[in-house]
Amino acid sequence: MGKLFTFIGLGLVLALALLLAVVAGDYGPWYFAWMVGTVMIVLIAGCGAVLFDSQHEKGNGEI
Amino acid sequence: MPLIDPSVVDLSRLQFALTALYHFIFVPLTLGMTFLLAAMETVYVITGKQIYKDMTQFWGKLFAINFAIGVATGLTMEFEFGTNWSMYSHFVGDVFGTPLAIEGLMAFFMESTFIGLMFFGWDRLSKPGHLAVTYLTALGSNLSALWILIANGFMQNPQGASFNPDTMRMEFNSFLNLVFSEDAQAKFVHTSIAGFVTGALFVMGISAFYILRKQHREFAARSFRMAALFGVISSLAVVTLGDALGRLDYLVQPTKIAAIEGLWQDSDAGGSAAAAPWLVFALPNQATQTNSVEIGIPYVLDPLIAHSFSTNIPGLISLEQQAGPRIEKGITALNALQAYGKDHDTAALATFKANESDMGYGFLAQRYAPNQDLSLITPANQDAVVAQAEKDTIPNVFVTFWSFRIMMALGFYFVALFAFAAFFSLRNRLERNPFLLKLCVWSIPLPVLACEFGWITAEAGRQPWSVYGWLPTFQAASSHGVGYMVFSLLGFALLYSVFIAAELYLMFKFARLGPQPHHAAAPEAAAAPMFAAPAE
Repeated sequence: MGKLFTFIGLGLVLALALLLAVVAGDYGPWYFAWMVGTVMIVLIAGCGAVLFDSQHEKGNGEI
Repeated sequence: MPLIDPSVVDLSRLQFALTALYHFIFVPLTLGMTFLLAAMETVYVITGKQIYKDMTQFWGKLFAINFAIGVATGLTMEFEFGTNWSMYSHFVGDVFGTPLAIEGLMAFFMESTFIGLMFFGWDRLSKPGHLAVTYLTALGSNLSALWILIANGFMQNPQGASFNPDTMRMEFNSFLNLVFSEDAQAKFVHTSIAGFVTGALFVMGISAFYILRKQHREFAARSFRMAALFGVISSLAVVTLGDALGRLDYLVQPTKIAAIEGLWQDSDAGGSAAAAPWLVFALPNQATQTNSVEIGIPYVLDPLIAHSFSTNIPGLISLEQQAGPRIEKGITALNALQAYGKDHDTAALATFKANESDMGYGFLAQRYAPNQDLSLITPANQDAVVAQAEKDTIPNVFVTFWSFRIMMALGFYFVALFAFAAFFSLRNRLERNPFLLKLCVWSIPLPVLACEFGWITAEAGRQPWSVYGWLPTFQAASSHGVGYMVFSLLGFALLYSVFIAAELYLMFKFARLGPQPHHAAAPEAAAAPMFAAPAE
């Protein structure tokens, strides 16, 4: 049951994000760019950290 | 209506400029750090590694010091609109007050509430719950900026409102036009992303300091990596958005863009608009309306500003001359408005409506009218009044030109610095490049400086208007005495000096202390990743 609620909750977040994207894309292209761009910047920074962990496990400890 | 003492106007401008620039020392760091904290916590929640929680908490502590003082200095500015700019507040309060109120009610409360949960909720909320709170804090802080910048966007390019001759003020006719004004949009994104650059360089610089001193290596290297990647994309985006804002200024504020470029003559004055140089260095002289020295790159100005190779960009002298007829129409509009105010004469209203779009230019003529009364302007003295008022339609070119160039040079410096930092971090070669690390440490204050010069460009370039084309700055101030203004200015200077001393002391203290010693093995074992596979 918990997983179902999580699924429904995430589905609602997705629907809200899509709605926001459609409205912002139509009326505020720069706002839309900010939303997409900020998510991208956060995710790339996060990926950098994960990559660091991976390199560090295999490497010689140099940073 | 008598004119306000010019000394009071200048002191009001100085006070607002100082308090706004001071406030903006703290704002960019708040805008950027929140999303960087969210990125760190996202990695913690996904991987379950304790070090990312330590990173979020340590950088969060430095963010909290900055946030507290930033909020305190922001509140005084909202009151200044009422105390020092009462004519402005009367004229556009209906429009300007709305985004300010929404900022206070929605974004500020949202931000403050979630910041409390973010700091005190580590042991009370689930990991995804706390992560959601961190993201909402980031969103709240940026929404605060959004509403302020929507209000500022109205001052740069008034949209969504019209003047009501019965109430003598601007009133809303479209909230959506205000919110989705292109100026507000581009300005918000440019400012927010400039904050990302500030936050990234702050984290990268302090991390570089630890790496140089061989302290907290694991912690610092991860922080450096995340900040470098966060910064390299942000710095590229901030330059792109700067270009968008420049293009917009060319379309709606031609005097600002001409001042930014030190362009006195039209760009095709030399025979070809395409060949017009973009000035790298110049010494603009407002009195002679020339540049004393010029060093430029040909064939760059037109594509940079107009995104074309054949468009003439009007120079300041042309723009000044173009203002003449608008000032004449503005005088007609204001005289008709005065007549309408006396007996609601419909003919006067019709005359006003026909010249309404140039009403603001009429205000510019008031200080040169006989007895500062527009109704005393006659065909005999009108040309002299208009010729004097024309000179006031262009901003201070030296200040606008150089503040823009300093901001832009810093912007490109950040792109290069983040690119090198990301490159050496990704190759794990940071410790072999102490010069780069030292450069990162010394560059920590530079994004704040770039933001300050950005605001000087935007606001000095908007002059002589407080609301572009509608209300001159000298008409917008309150009628205080000089003594009151000097006293309050000294009070602010004293109080804010104490604030900045406290901020710097706390920042240096906690940054030098560094994070708490990190014990990787035990907590990592305890913290399960959010998306871990179920135990066998």
